[in-house]
Amino acid sequence: MNLQPSAPFSRPGWRLWPGLAIAGALVVLAMAGLGALVWEASLPDMNELWRSRYLRTVVAFTVWQAFLSVVLSLLVAIPVARILARQSGFPGRVVLLRLMELSLVLPSIVAVSGLVSVYGRQGWLTGFANDWLGASWNLYGINGIVLAHVFFNAPLAARILLQAIESAPTSQLRIAAQLGLGRWWYWRAVEWPAVKPIMPGLAALVFTLCFTSFAIVMTLGGGPAATTIEVAIYQSLRFEFDAGQAALLAMVQLAICGFLWWLAARDGLTASLLPDRQVASHRSKAGSSFWARSGDAAALGLFVLFLVTPLIAILLRGLPGIGSAFFPEGSFSVNPALLDATLRSLAIALPAGLMSVSASLLILACGTAASQPAITRLTNVAAYLPLMVPPLVLGTGLFLLFRPNLGNSSEGLILVTLINAMMALPFVLQMLRGPMGNLDSASRQQADQLGVLGWYRWRWLHWPRMRRPLALAMAYGTGLSLGDFGVIALFGSLGQPTLPVLLYQQLGSYRIDAAAATGLWLVLLLLMLFSLFNRLGSPLFNAGLASKSSRTVPEPEHA
Amino acid sequence: MLEVKNLVFAYPDQKAPWNFQFSVAPGQCIAIHGASGSGKSTLMNLLAGFLEPQSGDILWQGKSLRHRPPWHRPMTSVFQEHNLFEHLSVEANIGLGIHPGLKLTQEDQLAIERGLQSVGLGGFGKRIPGDLSGGQRQRVALLRTILRQQPMMLLDEPLTGLDSDTRDLLRQLLLEQKALGSLIVLASHDDEDRQVLADSICRL
Repeated sequence: MNLQPSAPFSRPGWRLWPGLAIAGALVVLAMAGLGALVWEASLPDMNELWRSRYLRTVVAFTVWQAFLSVVLSLLVAIPVARILARQSGFPGRVVLLRLMELSLVLPSIVAVSGLVSVYGRQGWLTGFANDWLGASWNLYGINGIVLAHVFFNAPLAARILLQAIESAPTSQLRIAAQLGLGRWWYWRAVEWPAVKPIMPGLAALVFTLCFTSFAIVMTLGGGPAATTIEVAIYQSLRFEFDAGQAALLAMVQLAICGFLWWLAARDGLTASLLPDRQVASHRSKAGSSFWARSGDAAALGLFVLFLVTPLIAILLRGLPGIGSAFFPEGSFSVNPALLDATLRSLAIALPAGLMSVSASLLILACGTAASQPAITRLTNVAAYLPLMVPPLVLGTGLFLLFRPNLGNSSEGLILVTLINAMMALPFVLQMLRGPMGNLDSASRQQADQLGVLGWYRWRWLHWPRMRRPLALAMAYGTGLSLGDFGVIALFGSLGQPTLPVLLYQQLGSYRIDAAAATGLWLVLLLLMLFSLFNRLGSPLFNAGLASKSSRTVPEPEHA
Repeated sequence: MLEVKNLVFAYPDQKAPWNFQFSVAPGQCIAIHGASGSGKSTLMNLLAGFLEPQSGDILWQGKSLRHRPPWHRPMTSVFQEHNLFEHLSVEANIGLGIHPGLKLTQEDQLAIERGLQSVGLGGFGKRIPGDLSGGQRQRVALLRTILRQQPMMLLDEPLTGLDSDTRDLLRQLLLEQKALGSLIVLASHDDEDRQVLADSICRL
């Protein structure tokens, strides 16, 4: 008998144990952090604190702003998703979809500076509204917080809803097209059944993102009346040195978010809760007449303006100062503050991205290799834990746990990297889930029989399919960490800022031009990273694979 | 000798389970004959280890294969379609049959080149399966099976839907392999295939 040479890492344990260890470590880390919180929270009198007006005000405001943000985000997202679904052929649709995805990684502190330029006291739109409409508008406070949340979450929600609408059964789409259903009946018969199952999860996702929002509230809150739990935790730890109060606040936040996710998950959350960039298109009569198309174009135009104007403002305000930000006052040496902040940001973001991608791959491999439902459940819980346990809450717990040993800033930065990697995990995992699972059963059977297992299977079957999704996931993982202004604000040192912290410091000291330049530099850095990873993900060589003249590796559309 | 002994299998909603039993010697071809749904492909999958039987055994040279995973069974399958990895070149597809990590010696590469010429596909090594016709793809799959040099071939409707020239060529290749001592289990609807290739018939 001609026995096949065995492949490296081909034992089933190699697929199971590393992912299981990571999933277990994530759960243990979260539990340890929470345990530390509970330990600390027993110190203050919880009844007394709960009766405190401050806490009630903070909780009520946090819930109210998150609720308003969810309602408004969905009110914007639903019509946008419907228009994008029925108008599938207009030029620039793909660009608009990519722009909508940018909201996932656009650093909130940068976006806020753009929003201030448009809607702030001296903003373009505020000036117009005051002069022509006689309206008085104040961005700071709940107005600005909700506006910024809608700016971030409406595109994300629209993207997810669009995906759900596009995944409606083809037979239904054909019947609806054949019957020539109008808009209302098309919504009732096709679109609503498609989006209904994901609505609770989507609302929970947007609510959690708004509920735990930090940078936006810090910058646009405008005072104690507009403080959320996340900001109150930060203030307790950073300024009042009251770990007990921080712990209690963190537990309140966790209880509310956890309850919400439990409610949403009761009927089973679908895997399509986050966008996977695979969007098909279909035609319906509902959007085919001239007036329908004109109406859709006008509505979509308004949405594009809403999205693009802050970005243009970032560009216009940052561009004049970017030269002097790098080379201050005609100096030929690079501004050390900006350079240091850039290197520090990259030193955190690149390992965080790599960690989130590696952890995602191992967790996915474990989830598919596991035969016991308990292990599959554990990997699912671990993967989405950062959505349920907000990172600042987790950070607070770990801070309390490691407090005596967090002696220097570099240890704090390691913790920041770890938590940033965890924050990115649900998003990165969602991007890799599809490509990782798209090896068809015929290929799997062939590979099994030929002994293409372990490392060989990864090299020859998974890697060609996953190279681009991996690069994209790495870009998103790195990008999310690069723009982080939550965990770093808690653990970072003021003297050693990352780019978002430097930007916040510049805004705080009214160095508006410098802040604009830093913001633009952060966005440019993000775009460069995306471009770099996109290049790394493209097939540079085809050795051993297909010839150059042939079709290249079939990859999912989102890659 | 391949011995299939009381191999019992049923899908979850199946009332009457299948019970397979036959034996074949090396250098012989057994044709599995039966209507659609009679269990031909299921038998092939059981032999290859893609399905787990409820009871019974598969013996090769007196040793049980039942608990061996597909990669430790001395056989290679060719199905009616989906036999190749679509993103890999013809050379890589064949090469993975020789070494699962595609670590090929010069001899191996020469063997692939010669093999491709012998099946009329000289110069096709760099192409991907999507660029080939159905007949060409089956020739590649069969060449991989031959170069993998396992003592058994499991052929599940391998010639169905091919033009007559390709069928003749592939039949000739299979006869040569049989003459060299390969054991062939052939599931086919085609009378001519059975007449040309089979030494015995198992009716399901």
